[in-house]
Amino acid sequence: MQPDVPVCSLCTEPAVVYQRSLNRHLCGTHFTADVEFRVADTIKTQQMIVRQDRVAVALSGGKDSTALLLLLHHLLPVWEDVRLIAITVDEGIEGYREETVRSAEQLTRRLGIEHHSISFTALFGDSLDVILSGRETQACSICGILRKKALVVGAQLAGATKLATGHNLDDEAQSVLMNIFRGDLQRLVRNSRLDSSGKFIPRIKPLSRISEKEIATYLMLNDVWRELPECPYTRYALRREVRSMISGFEYKHPGTMLQLMKSKEKIERYCKGSMISEALHSCRECGDPCSGDLCQVCLLRQSLGK
Amino acid sequence: MRLILSDKDIRIFEHIPAPVEQILLEQGINPLEVIVSRNGKLLSEDTVIQAKDEVRIIRIAHGG
Repeated sequence: MQPDVPVCSLCTEPAVVYQRSLNRHLCGTHFTADVEFRVADTIKTQQMIVRQDRVAVALSGGKDSTALLLLLHHLLPVWEDVRLIAITVDEGIEGYREETVRSAEQLTRRLGIEHHSISFTALFGDSLDVILSGRETQACSICGILRKKALVVGAQLAGATKLATGHNLDDEAQSVLMNIFRGDLQRLVRNSRLDSSGKFIPRIKPLSRISEKEIATYLMLNDVWRELPECPYTRYALRREVRSMISGFEYKHPGTMLQLMKSKEKIERYCKGSMISEALHSCRECGDPCSGDLCQVCLLRQSLGK
Repeated sequence: MRLILSDKDIRIFEHIPAPVEQILLEQGINPLEVIVSRNGKLLSEDTVIQAKDEVRIIRIAHGG
C-alpha cells in the first residue's frame, strides 16, 4: 500500500473516493455497493417499480442514462416479473448525438436489452439542428418539449408502464433553484411520478440521490466510462450557470444539493392540498393531455410555423 | 509532476508533494467537476501526489 493513498473506512483497500458530507473514504468495491444500495433504496422507498412493470429507460448513451440502465439491469433480479427496455431519441445534433447513439446500441446489445430508437426527423419532420436555426438561445426549452414528447411516444409504442430517466442529484438540485428563480411554484412541487392521473406513463428518477461525480466514478470503476462530447447547445442554457453555482456551493458546503432537495420536499408537504392543480384537458390539435387549449408541442409547432 | 488535462494539455506542477484537491484548486478546477487518476487508478481528493507521478484529470461532461 502506498503511504500517500488514504484507506477505505470499511476495509484495508486503497480509497478511490472521499465522501465529504459523511467524512468517509471508500474503496472501489464498497463505493460500487454503496451506489447500488442507494439506488435500490430510492426505488423501494418511493415505490418507483412494482411487479409486472415494463420499465422503459430513456437511454441517450451519455453517462447518466448508461449508469441508469446498468444499475437497473444489475438490480433487476430483485424484482419479480419486471422487464427493462431502452428508448433512444435521436434529436439530430450533428457532431454530438451520433457517438452517444452508437454507445447506446452497443450497451443494449451487450446487456441483451430490447432497444427502440426514435428520431426528431421521423416524428417532427426535421432534425433539432434545422428546427433551431436562428433560435439557438431557446435550444434547451425547445429540445426539452420535443424530447419529452418523443420519449412518451417511444414508451407508448414499447408498451411501457414506467419511464425511467437518468436525472441525477445535480440535475434535480439545479431544477429546484431554476424553478425558484422563475417563480414557478407549480413546477417546483409537481411530481411526475405521482401526478400522472392515469393519463401519462409515470416518470421515475432512480438516480435522483446520486451525484454527477458519483455516476462518473461508478462508470469508471465498472469499465464503462467513455469520454463523450457535451451537447453543443448547453452554452446557451441557464442550467449551465446554475450548475456552476451549485457545484461551487456543494464544494464549500458539502450537502448543499441534498438540502435543496429536502427544501423542495418540505415545500411539497406544505403545499399539499392547498395548491390548485391545473385541470387536465385534451389538446385541441393532437388530443394529448394538457392543461390548456393546446399542448406544449402543438403550441411550439404553431410558434415555429410548422 | 506531469498533469494531463481533459483537453490533452500537459502541465508541469512543481509544488509537490501536494494533495489532489490542492493541485486542482491551484488550476482553478472545482474538484467536484472532475475525476482524477494515476496509472489508471482513481484517486480520492486527499491522496498526496509525488514528484514522479503522472496524473490525469477527466472533466465530467454534463448531460446524458
